[in-house]
Amino acid sequence: MFILDPTAEVDLKPISSAPRLKSSDKKIIGLLSNGKAAVSPFFNYLEKMLGKNWNAKTILRYTKINYSAPADPDLIRELSRCHMIVTGIGD
Amino acid sequence: MTLDFTLASKQYEINSEEEAQDYFHARGLTDGLPIVPPTSEKVIACLHQSGMVPTHVLGVEPVRGRVITAEKTAINAVLAGCQPLHFPVVAAAVEAMCHPEFLLHGATCSTGGCAIFMVVNGPIVQELGMGATFNALANSDRASAVIGRSIRLILNNILDVKPGGLDRSTLGHPGKFSYCLAEDENGTDWIPLAQQRGASTDISTVTVFAAGSPRQIMNEWTTVPEEILETFAAEIKANMLHYSVWGGNYVIVLPKQLRSRLEEANWSKSDVQRFIFEHARVKKHDWIKVGKKSLITENKDKEFSALTNPEDLLVIAAGGPAGGFGAVIPPWFGHKSRAVTMGIGVCFDC
Repeated sequence: MFILDPTAEVDLKPISSAPRLKSSDKKIIGLLSNGKAAVSPFFNYLEKMLGKNWNAKTILRYTKINYSAPADPDLIRELSRCHMIVTGIGD
Repeated sequence: MTLDFTLASKQYEINSEEEAQDYFHARGLTDGLPIVPPTSEKVIACLHQSGMVPTHVLGVEPVRGRVITAEKTAINAVLAGCQPLHFPVVAAAVEAMCHPEFLLHGATCSTGGCAIFMVVNGPIVQELGMGATFNALANSDRASAVIGRSIRLILNNILDVKPGGLDRSTLGHPGKFSYCLAEDENGTDWIPLAQQRGASTDISTVTVFAAGSPRQIMNEWTTVPEEILETFAAEIKANMLHYSVWGGNYVIVLPKQLRSRLEEANWSKSDVQRFIFEHARVKKHDWIKVGKKSLITENKDKEFSALTNPEDLLVIAAGGPAGGFGAVIPPWFGHKSRAVTMGIGVCFDC
């Protein structure tokens, strides 16, 4: 008996990470929350750390409209200003 | 024109039924229950039934862009136990799930653990022998069981929505095995769900809805429509407080006994919708009673409605003839994921 493959049989392309920053010194850093409440205290702490200890130039806070959907294109365009982005999931 | 039913999927040779079971279970391609080995003959029979060629695209998963073809859908339908007659319902459900307002990626990957609830309407209910009365929300009949199960295997195998992988459900619920219901159109004078949602009377439809588990209610102690519906509204309000306050589509399933009280009093589905719209509301300060007072930072008298408008309520006639029971089926994520109704075997090339 021959049986058929039920999977999508797609070739997944590997996704490489963006180059890592050597330093956050004078860099614009974005903090992107998925919109859940528990992200805020974590990002508040991180924002202090980035400014005080790591000398970031600017820290920008963003929040997705819908935590179960991808960030909308306008938000992604806005995020492109940043040298580094940290995403937070508030579960 | 001759349609080309050549299949493109990889084929594997196996020597026995037992080996087929092991093959799929060992690779995480099942829900844990035994499967039907998907052979070319069975898959092509499903495609013939629907008039779809294997390469026909039923939908594209909107976030990852993964294409869902009729061939892959049919393989998984066979795997779940579908016969050819069942396949057009499965195909229409996949098309419905790929509509953007359904929010397929979120609905299938969220920690919220919802399942895809399906309601079938129209002549196909009789053709498939779907059971809309006794045990309607459970193991009522073969067609409902295998159509519902097909959706889980399609998600698992075509979209890689596997527990602990893309499926991040904290708990999930038993509807993730199969969650398919036929409306009892012969047992009611009410307008069927499909027509309420704009379908013509001569077609069959499937409505898909990202839903939590059913919450059963009981009220055998009144014949007054308002009192019966207050019990449903109370269950919806409990869900708003205990799970999520956000409004969206809600389903209520009304079996014969309670439904008869409403019909005898000349209440239509629209009347039921209006009543629930007006009564299924909570205020922010109600969170104090359920351990969520930390959410109340301001405006404690703010009101939340379960429904954005009365039409958001899907009223379904189904269930056995006796018993003052009913069910509320809540939305997974408020209005951000919407129920979608699709014609079965209708205009699939449009």
